[in-house]
Amino acid sequence: MPFHAFARRIRAAVVPCAIGSAAVLAFSIASSAPDAQRSWWSPGQGGTLPAESAYPNHSGRLGIFSASGPVEATGQPFFTPLGKNGRACVTCHQPSDAFSISVDTIRARWDATGGGDPLFAGVDGANCPNLPMADPASHSLLLGRGLIRVFLPWPPRALDGSVIEPEFTIEVVRDPTGCNLSPEHGLASSHPTVSVFRRPRPVANLRYVTAAEFGVGPFNVKDSQPAAHDPATGKLVNMQLMADAREPTLATQAQSAVATHLEGRPLGAAALQKLIGFETQLFAAQIEDARAGSLVEPRGPPAFGPHALATGRTSVLGNNTTNYVFPIGEAWRQLPRTGEAAHDAQSAAREAIARGHDVFFFRTFWIKDAMHINTVGLGNPAKRTCATCHGMHMTGMDTVNGWMDIGTTNLPWAVEAPQNPWTRDKPEMPLFKLTCDRALAPHPFLGRVIYTQDPGRALITGRCNDIGTIVMQQFRGLAARAPYFSNGSARDLRELVDFYDRRFNIQYSEQEKQDLVAFLGAL
Amino acid sequence: MTRISIIVLCTTFLAAPTHAGEHRNFVSCPLVRDTKTVPCWLAEHDGELYYLGIQTDISADFDPPYLGHRALVEGVVAPNAERICGGVVLDPVNVSTLPELDGACNTVLPAEDRYQVPFAPRPPGPSGGRLAFEPPPGAAAAKPALTGPQEFAIEYDFDTPIMARHADVLTQIFGYATQAHARHIVVRGYRGATLLSDGTVMTERDTLPEARAKEVAQLLIGAGLPRAEIEVSWSTEVAQPRGDGDWHARRTVVRVEP
Repeated sequence: MPFHAFARRIRAAVVPCAIGSAAVLAFSIASSAPDAQRSWWSPGQGGTLPAESAYPNHSGRLGIFSASGPVEATGQPFFTPLGKNGRACVTCHQPSDAFSISVDTIRARWDATGGGDPLFAGVDGANCPNLPMADPASHSLLLGRGLIRVFLPWPPRALDGSVIEPEFTIEVVRDPTGCNLSPEHGLASSHPTVSVFRRPRPVANLRYVTAAEFGVGPFNVKDSQPAAHDPATGKLVNMQLMADAREPTLATQAQSAVATHLEGRPLGAAALQKLIGFETQLFAAQIEDARAGSLVEPRGPPAFGPHALATGRTSVLGNNTTNYVFPIGEAWRQLPRTGEAAHDAQSAAREAIARGHDVFFFRTFWIKDAMHINTVGLGNPAKRTCATCHGMHMTGMDTVNGWMDIGTTNLPWAVEAPQNPWTRDKPEMPLFKLTCDRALAPHPFLGRVIYTQDPGRALITGRCNDIGTIVMQQFRGLAARAPYFSNGSARDLRELVDFYDRRFNIQYSEQEKQDLVAFLGAL
Repeated sequence: MTRISIIVLCTTFLAAPTHAGEHRNFVSCPLVRDTKTVPCWLAEHDGELYYLGIQTDISADFDPPYLGHRALVEGVVAPNAERICGGVVLDPVNVSTLPELDGACNTVLPAEDRYQVPFAPRPPGPSGGRLAFEPPPGAAAAKPALTGPQEFAIEYDFDTPIMARHADVLTQIFGYATQAHARHIVVRGYRGATLLSDGTVMTERDTLPEARAKEVAQLLIGAGLPRAEIEVSWSTEVAQPRGDGDWHARRTVVRVEP
């Protein structure tokens, strides 16, 4: 069944556009770009990733900069099938999508291959491995929200394999995927497992993501728990990888990904080094905006484009008027008008981006009931700005230990299908009920009984206060990799902004929302 | 909001006079008042409004409370201090967010021109490049290097375990134990009681000293100190509260012996 037919059938809350034609459109645009080699990289296909390449998206064009020069895909583990399901890292980390993967790309791939691409492998490219693989309904979370199944042992295991006694019990309230109640794969199976569903993160700009020169100490800043170490060197790490910070380094992440997503055997030392060397020299950012034009021209905003990322400073706190999170300078704040329509429209679009930056950086609102934000010395509520949490220079990540709960997965804020006698929409995500130990202090904002679509870091630590906390992602290349949030609950940047507006009662004006979307799309 | 405003106006006339140096220990809902700069934190007790502190950043000694919880305020009326944000200034002041949730504590007061916070060391958004209470570059005097046995005190909010703000003292302990090649570390947990201004005594749970000591030991082990060198003990005894600095009794003491 082609995807567009499936979409009609399930009436899921997905983009109701002509999916079938999207694949053709995407391909033709990519072909017309001067330096894009292809819009889909298949594992083992060979070819060269140029030093510089560009890929079109809905907002303009994404630029990829391979700082060490062109890379031959043949022999590079990132592009090589490493396991029995035929996937490579590139399967879910496509250059055109800022080395993540957008839901548009996923749907196009389904239509192009009839679901036969390794992307849809049963291990985690389906809602559960025991479902019929040819049926798109078996892949509804991947096709609808771009979500990969992440399966984790319950109770949690420490890195040394020892069992962590959790502070809460977990019950499955709702299981649209069937996997958490499956006798073979679920919580009651012989290997009790929790399945949650998350977006693949970008494998680019990792120099920033892994930098550990700021705020890294023996105890993490969120709750004073011991920080993780690199098992190879013993050095402290910044705990910013993955949605739940479960892997301390790119090396452990790679081995874990090969074992699970690729169903392969561990990489040898040389291959691992080659893979990490490739990943850490990749930079991705938007280079062209459909309305504002080039984002990387001389004397333009200094934060924009992948070259700025390649030369920028890592481990720098940007929530200040010394460094800025995204320094954009003054060039686009007030541009002259010539009366020539195209020129003036471009100037207006550039000014909107600059205004959006100021909304991000200076517009205050009350941050309230957000675990690991309000609890780290700011009080509840705290009158701050987006940049308070998204403070890392050049990426907008947290500077260290970036897991927080802003309500993307925890109720009552998580996006849920409304339930009433008239709707035909069905919930897509699993729902868990977590009951915290009564002998311990309750979660300070959610109490002792918490409903969540994804317990987040709590599945790693077993801690009640970590329920629904998610490591925040970088902001770069956003236009290339919708949907957003770890559970793909924001279809586009406007929905992302609207979520924050609801969650924190920000009361953004329509102009502020549009400007913020323009700014985020330019990153 | 209106109800609170009326209460505050009325109690301006009804409140007992405050005197510098008097202790004010009480439990009530914290209030947050917006201003044109940063918010300030207040609490009402016995018909009077008290100023607790302002929002700054993680470098501040003042750890603001949480709406959604009641707070235990333990303070002293500051001498010769003008009211701030409408509240009598308590200095020193210790504010504990009580663990259980209380949905009644949910008041945010709007900014009014008559309440200003001109002394805020950082604005509500991006800083000027330094944390609020970070010493200027070069101004920090070098601390003398520690030698020999050292004791470190970890002080807690009422009835609570380790929190985010304890990372600093844990890092100091870990750093000294590592640097001094500690051969023996004694972790001893305590609990405390607080004498409130109305004569009530609040006492922490008797399970806390053990839980606190074991948690600190576990954190130090988790960070890399050898388990064999750490001795854990606790005392459930409670010192007689005096209403003056009672919060110091809520502690775990870590003695590091090279």
